[in-house]
This record gives sequence, structure tokens and C-alpha cells, in this order.
Amino acid sequence: MFLARISGTVVAAIKHPTLDGCRLVIAQRLEADGSAAVEPIVVLDWLGSANGSTVLVSTDGDIARVKLGNTTPARLVVVGIVDSAQGQAAAGRT
Amino acid sequence: MRLGIVRGHVTLNLAVTAFKGKRLVMVEPVTMENLSAGNGLGGGKALVAVDELGAGVGQLVAFTEGREAANPFWPDSAPVDAYCALIVDSVNVHS
Repeated sequence: MFLARISGTVVAAIKHPTLDGCRLVIAQRLEADGSAAVEPIVVLDWLGSANGSTVLVSTDGDIARVKLGNTTPARLVVVGIVDSAQGQAAAGRT
Repeated sequence: MRLGIVRGHVTLNLAVTAFKGKRLVMVEPVTMENLSAGNGLGGGKALVAVDELGAGVGQLVAFTEGREAANPFWPDSAPVDAYCALIVDSVNVHS
């Protein structure tokens, strides 16, 4: 798991059928010093995380597989919205 | 999933049977800077992914990596570690 900052959303009409109706957000992984990764990631979000918020992302596809079926290619899932934590990365400061 | 731009297609001659009939695309991952700018540039290290959606050259796709990339072929096993999960219509980026 790692922390990431939500920076947008994705709209896609053509997608794997198991992803129909899923909210997909764009996030940037946060390093220990609070800086954001160069490459964005697309994460499944069932919690309704707001833009700019810091979230906990799991790279385990198990939750997605349980919810969307065995054939889903989904892997990254928002598993928590960070309220507060010690350190810079959790606060999303740069 | 990461975001990438389709740069081309890959055709195999000899291949393991699991790859028979599979469409392969060459994808160049996109950096946040290029995504925000919408300049059509990538910036990441190119990779090959399985595509069942019919993504065309220049289109932005999101691809899954790792063990989950082979899930769509369940219950068969396939040596796939990158899979195009969706073709992006639009992105709303607020950085």
C-alpha cells in the first residue's frame, strides 16, 4: 500500500465490462518527502475521494476481484481516505 | 493502472499457445506533466500490452500491470503482465 494524492478523474466509454459503472480517479503516488511521482496512476474508487485529498491505495486486486468478478483486470483500489498522519507525505505537502 | 499512449501494434510469428489470436499494442506511459498539457507526448518507458478493446495508434489507454493483467483470461492461464483495461475518452486533471 502507498499514499497518493487524487488529481483528477477519467471518463472512458470503451472499457473492460467488469469496470462498467466504476469511478476511476487519477492519482499521483507520494514519496516520503511529500513529493508526487512523475507518472499518474488510475485507481478504482468506491469511497468517493475528493480532488486533492490524500488516500491510501492498495495494489492487491483481491477487493476488486471479489466485487467485480474473477475476470476483472482492476488492481489499484482506494482503500482509505487519509484524515491525518504523522509526516509530510500523508499531508501531501511538497 | 497506468496511463499510456498507443504507439503501434505488435504481431507475433511463433508464440506460446496462450497468445494465439491476442492483439498486442506498444504503449508509451504518460507523465503527469504531459497528461496535463495534453500534448500527445508520453515520456515513460514503452511496453507491450494485450489489447482486447481495439485501441488505435495515438489513443490514450489505461493498462493494468502485474498478476491481475492475466485475470481477464481466467480460468485459463496466460503469461500476460500488461493488459489494456480501458480507452480514455477524457481526463479531468486539476494539479
